[in-house]
Amino acid sequence: MSALVEIRDLVVAYDGGGGATRGLDSAELYVASGETLAIVGESGSGKTTIGMSIGRLLPPEARIESGTITVDGVSVVDVDAEALRQLRRDRLGFVFQNPMTALDPTMRIDRQMIRAIGGKPSHDAIALLLRRAELDDPERVMRSFPHELSGGMAQRVIIAMAIARSPKLIIADEPTASLDASIREKVMDTLGRLREENGASMVILSHDLRLVSRHADRVAVMYGGRVVEIGQSATVLEQPAHPYTRALIAAAAGNEKPGERLEPILGAPPVLRGPCRKCAYEPRCGLARPECANSRPEARLVAARAVCCHFAEEVVEATSDAGEARTE
Amino acid sequence: MSVAKSIVAALCRLMREDRLSFLGLAVLTLLVLIGLLGPWLPLGDPTRIAAGPRLAPPSWAFPFGTDELGRSYLPRVVEGIRATFLLSIVAVSITAVVGSFFGMLAGYFHGVTDHFVARGADILFAFPAIIVGLLVAAMIGPGQVSAVAVISIATIPLFIRVVRSVTLSVAGRGFVTASEVAGATPWRIMTVHILPNILGAVIVQLTYAMSIGMIIESTLSYLGLGVQPPQASLGSLLRQGSAYLTFAPWLVLSAGMVLSLAIMSVNLVGDAIRDAIEPLKGRALK
Amino acid sequence: MRLIGYLLPRIAIALVTTLGVSILVFLALRFIPGGYADILLGPFVTPEARAAIAQRYGLDQPIVFQFGRWLLSLLQGDFGVSMVTRKPVIDEFLRRAPVTLELATIALFVALALGVPLGIASGVAGRARGGYARVVGAIGASVPDVVLGSALIFVFSAWSLWFRVGGYVPLSEDPIENLRVMLLPGLTLSVFGVALILRTTRDAVMQVMTEGHITTAVARGERPRDIIRLHVLRNAAIPVVTVVTTYFGFLLSGAVVVEVLFSIPGIGLYTFNGLLNRDYAIVQAGVLIAALVFISINMLSDILYAAIDPRVGAGKRR
Repeated sequence: MSALVEIRDLVVAYDGGGGATRGLDSAELYVASGETLAIVGESGSGKTTIGMSIGRLLPPEARIESGTITVDGVSVVDVDAEALRQLRRDRLGFVFQNPMTALDPTMRIDRQMIRAIGGKPSHDAIALLLRRAELDDPERVMRSFPHELSGGMAQRVIIAMAIARSPKLIIADEPTASLDASIREKVMDTLGRLREENGASMVILSHDLRLVSRHADRVAVMYGGRVVEIGQSATVLEQPAHPYTRALIAAAAGNEKPGERLEPILGAPPVLRGPCRKCAYEPRCGLARPECANSRPEARLVAARAVCCHFAEEVVEATSDAGEARTE
Repeated sequence: MSVAKSIVAALCRLMREDRLSFLGLAVLTLLVLIGLLGPWLPLGDPTRIAAGPRLAPPSWAFPFGTDELGRSYLPRVVEGIRATFLLSIVAVSITAVVGSFFGMLAGYFHGVTDHFVARGADILFAFPAIIVGLLVAAMIGPGQVSAVAVISIATIPLFIRVVRSVTLSVAGRGFVTASEVAGATPWRIMTVHILPNILGAVIVQLTYAMSIGMIIESTLSYLGLGVQPPQASLGSLLRQGSAYLTFAPWLVLSAGMVLSLAIMSVNLVGDAIRDAIEPLKGRALK
Repeated sequence: MRLIGYLLPRIAIALVTTLGVSILVFLALRFIPGGYADILLGPFVTPEARAAIAQRYGLDQPIVFQFGRWLLSLLQGDFGVSMVTRKPVIDEFLRRAPVTLELATIALFVALALGVPLGIASGVAGRARGGYARVVGAIGASVPDVVLGSALIFVFSAWSLWFRVGGYVPLSEDPIENLRVMLLPGLTLSVFGVALILRTTRDAVMQVMTEGHITTAVARGERPRDIIRLHVLRNAAIPVVTVVTTYFGFLLSGAVVVEVLFSIPGIGLYTFNGLLNRDYAIVQAGVLIAALVFISINMLSDILYAAIDPRVGAGKRR
């Protein structure tokens, strides 16, 4: 597997009222061709920042301080505007969280589709694309303004736009979070199917672990602006090696047993003013020891995944014990 | 009141970082001080006739020249600053009280109240200010009272609209609903919960109303419908000087310059407050 | 269908506003000191003559009747009779309307021609502060028409530079001469508009630039030029339309001052002279006409609004 996206040592700072804060703190990530990678974490963990930095779609107050982002051989950090535009147009496809704001409210869908496809596509070509995104009545959709569509339909339009030029990578930022629960799965299936048909890679930014476990080959868990654990979905989600991953799973609804309580993660994610010299999760971690407050854990391989925790082995053991205890 | 604190902090930062905002505040402070201290400043007697030659151009003795009666023009302009500011402040205070009251009423009670207030504002808004000035002058005669009335009539509908929309957004928030559920009276909710939260918007709108007021005052007085001679306002000085525009332009130009500076400083301070409360975000296409 | 549902309430509101405006204007005239009879006959009048006048003009009837009759005569196009010339004032207003309209058109044209492109350029540049737009905006919004007009008169009466100060020439007589006279007052009137429209356009563009659909357009690799042309401008036009309407109302107001300053025989100068001559029928008609024009323009802006924003009338208006 060759790397389609490679992010190294990426530091992104946000300029704000009380000085700059770090959105990414030496984050590392790679995405292989054809795979689906999910990035999970709380709000403020840096998952949107890292996802959007792949297309350099960061808000104006964000600044890339150091590091490299290579997407399909293009160095995104220092590429010129025209090449960046072509990269976005031809090789990347974005699906955003809120389909209602992601479409131009004053333009009919067919014209927006033309913008996405490029050139002068025929009426039938647009209709076909919409049908591929499982919109039953493409004619009506094409004539509509965004406000005349339901959230699910609008998101399917966005998906159709994202795959219009057969991108090599689809970046989906919470693609189903703003949709009704009843249609989330279906929209996600459509997105997954279209990705497969195109042979594209996909990066899903999400906090919905159930969705992630079903659709992603690999999972990256982000905390404090870096990836703290990354590996095969099954490995990471069933036997987490980072205390934060474990806490996320315990806090997620859906895999508890009847009568079992969900455990909220206490405390709040850190606000970084500069590079974090310790484990960013230390203040909230139940397993924290003095070492955690003194040295920053670097990524290392533990039980078939990369993890940034000084005591990953213990966590793995504890979770497998708990897992066994649960199955007993 | 931590909100107010952070706004003041943002304002201070703005003043340090942004030269134009700072300039606005500095000029405004200077003009207000001059207006307040005018009578005690060693500028000369504004009423002394034949203090110098008639219609003399600016000189060291008479920095703004002299008028047709040989009065030094600088102290007259200072007097004018005072009158113009004072009139606008009085009018805008009336606007602030009346406009905030009706705006909050409309925004909080919705329904019939809202309709009545909104239509009232529409009706007032339909009258262009200076044209109202003509009507008011016909009714109660030209003078300071009619200038104040016209400024209020022109600014109240603007005020009502802004306060109404801000109140609407505040009234929908949780803490208002919570105190309604707890049984607070509408009056208490409006004064205790809503007013502090719309204060920022009210202050911004006040500064804009202030600058509109100064424009209206000067225009009315220029037309002879506002402040009457011998009392000086910046507008009545413009009127007085306009008769000699071609051969003693310093009269109109000095009063006009000071007037424009005053309005600009009020506008800049208003912009700065608005920026501090709600920073305008920009984004360039890269 | 959508438009009818949207426009009907607005037409109703416009009618209510018109009624309110008429009531206010009617009452205002009743409150003018001296009353109708005094003004008609002068101060030295016998009670008999006064009573005769009162009867003739229906002044002895209840005020509601008086208002009804007045409104009825308004609907028939009777805005009253000038005390000085004894002619219907509406004729004079209609005769002078094109002059004021020309002035307002010049001002509006200049304001749009300068304000919109500069506002777009400044908004697209996207700096939160700074730049020429802010300076132009601050100056334009702060220099009153009186001051600017006076300065222009001073400069151009000293050095003519093609323009003419005073000596109005009708458009029909000599268009070029007319333009020489009208351009300075038109420019004076436009400066506030340039500032207003520039600022509004700039803020609107900056606001739209932060919206999600612009990020979508950037993400799908559209050219910046196309993004501005196709996505930003149409969305940003919505608030600008509203402001331009308000500005038009201001133009009517500003026309009084500018017409007085430059001696342009439009309806503003006519109304102003009506006041000076205590010819109150003219003032009354002037106020009423200005308000009616403003209300009509507002209606026009509502229609434009609906044409620009497809969400209007769909219950999802911003």
